[in-house]
Amino acid sequence: MMPLDLRTPFGVTLALMPEIALTAGALVVLLVNAWRHRTAADSRLSGYVALASLVPSAIALGLLWTGGARPEGAPFMVAVDGFRFAALALILVATAATILLSLGYLEREGLIAPEYYSLVLFAASGMMFMAGAEDLIVLFLGLEVMSVSVYVLAGFNRGSVFSAEAALKYFLIGAFASAFLLYGIALLWGATGSTSLSAIGAGQSGGVALTAIGKVGLGLFLIGMGFKVASVPFHMWAPDVYDGSPTPVTGFMATGVKAAGFLALVRVLDVAFPEAHEAWQPVIAGLAVASMVLGNLVALAQRSLKRMLAYSSIAHAGYLLGSIWAGTTLGAASTLLYLGAYALTTLAAFGILAVLGRGGEREVTLDSIAGLATRRPWLAFALSVCMLSLLGFPGTLGFVGKWAILASLVQVRQLPLAVILVVTSLVSAGYYLPVIMSAYMREPESAESHDQAGLPRAAVVTVTIAIAVVLIFGVLPSAALSSAIATAGTMVQSVAAP
Amino acid sequence: MTLSLLAIQAAEAISAPEGATRWVWLTVAFPLLGFLVNGALALRRPQAKTIVSIVGAGVLVAAFAVAALIYAELRGHPPEAPVIVQLWRWIPSGSLDIRFAFQVDQLSVVMLLVVTGVGSLIHLFSIGYMHADAGYARYFAYLNLFVVFMLVLVLGASLPVLFVGWEGVGLCSYLLIGFWFGDKVNADAGKKAFLVNRIGDFGVLIAMFLLWYTLRSLDFVTITAKAPTDLVAGGGLVTAITLFLFLGCAGKSAQIPLYTWLPDAMAGPTPVSALIHAATMVTAGVYLVARTGILFAMAPFSSAVVAGVGALTALFAASIGLRQYDIKKVLAYSTISQLGYMFLAVGTGAYVAGIFHLVTHAFFKALLFLGAGSVIHAMHQAYHATHSHADAQDMRNMGGLRRYLPWTFWLMLIATFAIAGVPGLSGFFSKDEILAAAFGRGETHRIWLVYWAMGMLAAFMTAFYMMRLMAMTFFGENRTGAAEQEYLHDAPPVMTGPLVVLGILTIAGGLINLPAFAGGHHALETWLEPVVASAQAAMPLTMPHGTTEYLLIGAAVVTSLLGLFLGWRVTLARPIPTAALAPAETGFARVLFRKYYIDEIYDALIVRPLVGISRLVLWKGVDQGLIDGLGANGSASLARGLGWIGSRLQSGQLGFYVVVFLVGAVWLLRAVVR
Amino acid sequence: MTSLLASIGFERWILHVLLALPLVAAVPVLLAPAALARRIALVATTVEFVLSLGLWWAVDTASGTLQLVVSVPWIKAWGISYAVGIDGISLTMVLLTTLLMPLCVLGSWNYITERERGYYAMLLTLLTGVLGVFVATDLFLFYVFWEVMLIPMYFIIGIWGGKNRLYATIKFFLFTMAGSLLMLVAILVLAWVVAGKTGTLSFAYEHLLANSAAAGPLAPYLFAAFALAFAVKVPVFPLHTWLPDAHVEAPTAGSVLLAGILLKMGTYGFLRFAVPFFPEVAMSPWVTNLVLALAVIGIVYGALVAMVQPDIKKLVAYSSVSHLGFVMLGIWAATVQSLQGAIMIMIGHGLATGALFFLVGMLYERRHTRDISAYGGIAKVVPVFSLVFTVVALASIGLPGLNGFIGEFLVLLGSFRAHPITTGIATTGVIFAAAYLLWALQRIIFNPLDKRENESLTDLSARELAVLLPLLAGIVWMGLFPAPVLERIEPAVRHYIEQVRGPIAALELSERTPGARP
Repeated sequence: MMPLDLRTPFGVTLALMPEIALTAGALVVLLVNAWRHRTAADSRLSGYVALASLVPSAIALGLLWTGGARPEGAPFMVAVDGFRFAALALILVATAATILLSLGYLEREGLIAPEYYSLVLFAASGMMFMAGAEDLIVLFLGLEVMSVSVYVLAGFNRGSVFSAEAALKYFLIGAFASAFLLYGIALLWGATGSTSLSAIGAGQSGGVALTAIGKVGLGLFLIGMGFKVASVPFHMWAPDVYDGSPTPVTGFMATGVKAAGFLALVRVLDVAFPEAHEAWQPVIAGLAVASMVLGNLVALAQRSLKRMLAYSSIAHAGYLLGSIWAGTTLGAASTLLYLGAYALTTLAAFGILAVLGRGGEREVTLDSIAGLATRRPWLAFALSVCMLSLLGFPGTLGFVGKWAILASLVQVRQLPLAVILVVTSLVSAGYYLPVIMSAYMREPESAESHDQAGLPRAAVVTVTIAIAVVLIFGVLPSAALSSAIATAGTMVQSVAAP
Repeated sequence: MTLSLLAIQAAEAISAPEGATRWVWLTVAFPLLGFLVNGALALRRPQAKTIVSIVGAGVLVAAFAVAALIYAELRGHPPEAPVIVQLWRWIPSGSLDIRFAFQVDQLSVVMLLVVTGVGSLIHLFSIGYMHADAGYARYFAYLNLFVVFMLVLVLGASLPVLFVGWEGVGLCSYLLIGFWFGDKVNADAGKKAFLVNRIGDFGVLIAMFLLWYTLRSLDFVTITAKAPTDLVAGGGLVTAITLFLFLGCAGKSAQIPLYTWLPDAMAGPTPVSALIHAATMVTAGVYLVARTGILFAMAPFSSAVVAGVGALTALFAASIGLRQYDIKKVLAYSTISQLGYMFLAVGTGAYVAGIFHLVTHAFFKALLFLGAGSVIHAMHQAYHATHSHADAQDMRNMGGLRRYLPWTFWLMLIATFAIAGVPGLSGFFSKDEILAAAFGRGETHRIWLVYWAMGMLAAFMTAFYMMRLMAMTFFGENRTGAAEQEYLHDAPPVMTGPLVVLGILTIAGGLINLPAFAGGHHALETWLEPVVASAQAAMPLTMPHGTTEYLLIGAAVVTSLLGLFLGWRVTLARPIPTAALAPAETGFARVLFRKYYIDEIYDALIVRPLVGISRLVLWKGVDQGLIDGLGANGSASLARGLGWIGSRLQSGQLGFYVVVFLVGAVWLLRAVVR
Repeated sequence: MTSLLASIGFERWILHVLLALPLVAAVPVLLAPAALARRIALVATTVEFVLSLGLWWAVDTASGTLQLVVSVPWIKAWGISYAVGIDGISLTMVLLTTLLMPLCVLGSWNYITERERGYYAMLLTLLTGVLGVFVATDLFLFYVFWEVMLIPMYFIIGIWGGKNRLYATIKFFLFTMAGSLLMLVAILVLAWVVAGKTGTLSFAYEHLLANSAAAGPLAPYLFAAFALAFAVKVPVFPLHTWLPDAHVEAPTAGSVLLAGILLKMGTYGFLRFAVPFFPEVAMSPWVTNLVLALAVIGIVYGALVAMVQPDIKKLVAYSSVSHLGFVMLGIWAATVQSLQGAIMIMIGHGLATGALFFLVGMLYERRHTRDISAYGGIAKVVPVFSLVFTVVALASIGLPGLNGFIGEFLVLLGSFRAHPITTGIATTGVIFAAAYLLWALQRIIFNPLDKRENESLTDLSARELAVLLPLLAGIVWMGLFPAPVLERIEPAVRHYIEQVRGPIAALELSERTPGARP
């Protein structure tokens, strides 16, 4: 046990070690770039440096986690519990994967600009602050750090008009949404007299209901978060941005940004507003249903795989909102599990997509991957596993995640949401299966199609690990499940897990 | 599990009777063996005709021998109760425990003798008749298999076992009718026979279910024992059971309205017509009614229906027979008509008379068919020799054949007199008993007098069309053609031999149940007494005696002689044109010639609508249109459509995005505050 | 025999081996060269069959309850375990499966000419999946097998299927999934309501069965969810339209397994889960009438539609709809006879329809068409084929003495008293069955031999006979000596009736002699 007094600079520094380490790494990368920023080799170098700079952060995280760090007295500014550590781990994994996938991609696309990696790292540190925030202000800071970096990343492909458009749209609406968020925080402070989550939560525990102002604040806050996690109706930006950004960035947004958003959201709702659940549960349910229905239906109509994945990520945001609804330990656990499954699968999928596209990912359609299995069996296999996991098919981690969400809903008898979830997943089969079908059951368009569709070594590692994890934990989910529940338990004690 | 079977068999063996009856299963086993051997030969060595002949006919003779032994045994010391030979446990399910068992009693033995006896003769005849055919081995395989099932039918100790034979003979009939499946007509005829029979089998199944839930048993002994106590005589239940059973009988024995398959069945080889469609299978319905006589006896209404349908069929079919030219078609309708008599008998409660007529009919109708067979054989060879394509079965192409086929002629003449009811011959006694019984029943209910009248009329027609057949075939000028005449001659001994035997039986057949007035003592009646006793008790017969009896006989004799005479005169009154030159039929004659258009009516009312509805409404309409079109694919394309609309909203216009954002925001805030 | 098996601890490992062996064998199949792959698959499936035969003696079918039960914790947190068991009912299904599988491998010997490795690997995976469905006694496990089994069939149809295979395969997948996803929710709900009552969260079959009453007002919805999943598989009218497409497009072995086994999973699901869990709902007049109506519609409708199919495979597919209608009728009549009949049909249909599909496939290999109109009179050139075809068709028609009759007879007999009119209509099915099959028979093997291509057809090869003879033997054996099988399923059936109707009813339904006098 390692008690940390978060009110002392020392304590806070220790508690924030992972974030600090990562930020430092980002600065190192910048320094490297100052001298080396011309050739592909330089870019690669800074990539590896960035990768390396994840290590100390990971170590720090590991020490804190295994050391069983816990706050001495009331938590302050930053949470110190298993849930945060798990969140950080998730973000680090997503970041690492993104970097690995980017290495080959940037080179191929001729994007020789090493700053890319420092931006990724800054975004990552922002995510970590956001996901670990115990205070609304910290949350907002983290969110902005993350967002600003991602705005730039989205438009990183200067050559592409779509990339530029994506960046601009994302920035404009992002700013718009941030305003809502900030105003919401302000109102919440006005209503509760605090920005500390635990303090707000404690304030209501006495049966003191949230005032109308507070509710409005909560609402504005949810709007802002709803934008970040791309849930209907605040999703309009997502397809265009996902579509236009460089593919690894898309992956990063679909996983890292979403993860950070949801992790923060869970913490806020479960720690600060468990008492006010009558207020937010209907909203969450509404957003969830809208996202599931619209995301899946529209994804059904897409030809470009990248765009299809973009819409499906909206649908997954819907499922995740469903996991938040219950507000129980099991619920939080399912959020973790599903995020993990979703992040791994989506990153792998985008990684594969990146090599299939050869620069024109936006044109990667069902037809262009026809007969992939005959030419690139392993690639086809990996892609199929991704699709099945996203579909939530038994034997994959995706199924475990969906199962956990359903369980959390059933546990609190929220059956309508559960039914809508499975019905909409059926719709999703309508666009995930065709991918497998054209990969396995159709003839290649030409003899030499897919010939140069080979993953770079770094990407191979990422995809292989991701697939392996998805399958292993899909078949033997016991460990993942119980640890997820335990971790969630460190934050939410509301309803005991079964 | 085989062990358990053996155990059961052993157990049965202990309880099984001593003596020949214990070996009754051999009568089935021999033909089965023949079927397997000939079947194998048919597939591997179709040309090994000698072996096929020996095996094919041999097994039948062997079976007949066993049957004779069993008969002798029963003759020696007749059992008061039927002897049940358990073979194995067939369908044990809950309280239902169907054993595969044979029942040996006076009735089944009679059938056993007829089937194996007449069967042997027809097998022998076939050796000659089919010898040139490529499918010789296959033919004998089928024929043996038929005998197997026919014996299971008559020996089965319970309805389900009987049903095995019942459907099995149907199957063989199907295969043999379509024996020359190369012609679509034959294949169609086979299919028609099977399907029409299936309609009847539906009735048998329902009857079985009803019996199971009323008597909790399906074997004949129990049914006969329980029925009087557990069923209400004349009640709706027993009436329903019997009517459903009769539906099956009507199908199997070609009674109105299910008779239409039998005339088409003539597409099969002629010996098949003789064995299956005259002597044995088609009489199964009569046998079943007799077997379950107690039920019918307890259901007066059903009995009346049976008798009525029988009488009507007898008359109706005979009238069609008046105007047919295909020699086999005439005989086919004659068979239907004669079966009508049998049902009139069993419906009247004269079960013995029914069985009696069944036996004698087996003799003379088999003889007639085989005779027709050798006529066709001769005609066919003649036309074959001269490469003529004229119809070898059309009587208008025959005439004066008595000069060329004397044996056949004389034998068929005997049979004709027998079926027409000329005194002294077998047919006379059996038919007379039926009519007398019907007349007698008239005392209890008037309707039977009508039946009797119909019977008499049918008898007249029978005499008429049979004599017409003889006249057209054997008398007058030969119309076959000059070139052909030298090829016309009697069949080889292997074919005429059986004919002679049947001829003798046709003459002497009456002896088995010679009535008192002819100095006999109703041998068959006393023989069958234990079987039909209970039924008779429930539905006692009043046979006319004294003067009434003699008047009836007189009337019958006069009718038949008149029919024969007129048949002779009318037919030979004016010269008969050959089939090719014959003018089209007109007026009522045409209606008769086209068999009252019944086939056409069935086709238009049932077959076509069924197929049409299935194809257009059910398949195209419901399946492809509604369920798939609207349901499955419909919902799929609906989802796609909605998705397409959704993606249209993704205009890319930032302003629009903001609007949506704000609308959402407003909704959300309303929802939170509420 | 029993003692011999006991001496090698047979009943301890057999079920696990049966489940594992195919998966293990799939690995070398995937790695080996194509020619070797099919041999390995053949050996593996044959060994599987031989091993499974031991169950005939090892399973104590005298007691109607589940035997050889083994339960290993799998996901402790949620009381999910790898639990398997077997009773008289599942025994028959397991044996049917293991019998058909080697024949399918043998039947695909020359039919499958590309990507053989994957094909045989899929067959083996499917084997594991199907067996898992039949022996799983944990609902989570059951659901996993139920879904996973879709994948191999999805590939088998989609990769080695006919022209329109993509449509067929996704239709098959979506139809099945549409049903099973709601079942997933139902399973979860059931588990949690039971946990709410008993305090232990568990997905064990027996546990849920014992406490399913906890569902209370939810029961109808849960039953509906289960029923939907199974009804799609059976398939019950009007959910049957995936079947013809899947059958027509699937390769021979695919069709055989679809008809022979996968459909039975639906009826098995009703027998094992849907009805025993919620007897009050399932046996309520309303549901009973609905099911009976759909069953009878299926029987007649399927037969009539089959009658007018131009494509042999479609004809057989619709005939399956008709046959499975009898099974549904038997299940809902719920008497000893009707249930035993239902299971006999499940077995008999597996043998007969399986054989029919093999025969059609053999024709297809020779002529590459399934149009009935393309044939005619071939009995002249392929007598052996025609003989087998006729016998199988007759079995399917329900000719007494062959297996088809036993099942139909028992179902109808057992259903008649409770539902005379319904059963009466259902009985007309025997007429229509004869209609469509004999008509097809005539147009294929009889009639004039008027197409030149048919004159050069070759008769069955030794390999093809090896595929058909076991089925033929089964058809005849089950028709003449069904007693051993019936004896083995009767206790399980009685147990089932006690579950769904109560002990008294179990006795009364089968034993009581009703007063015949009105």
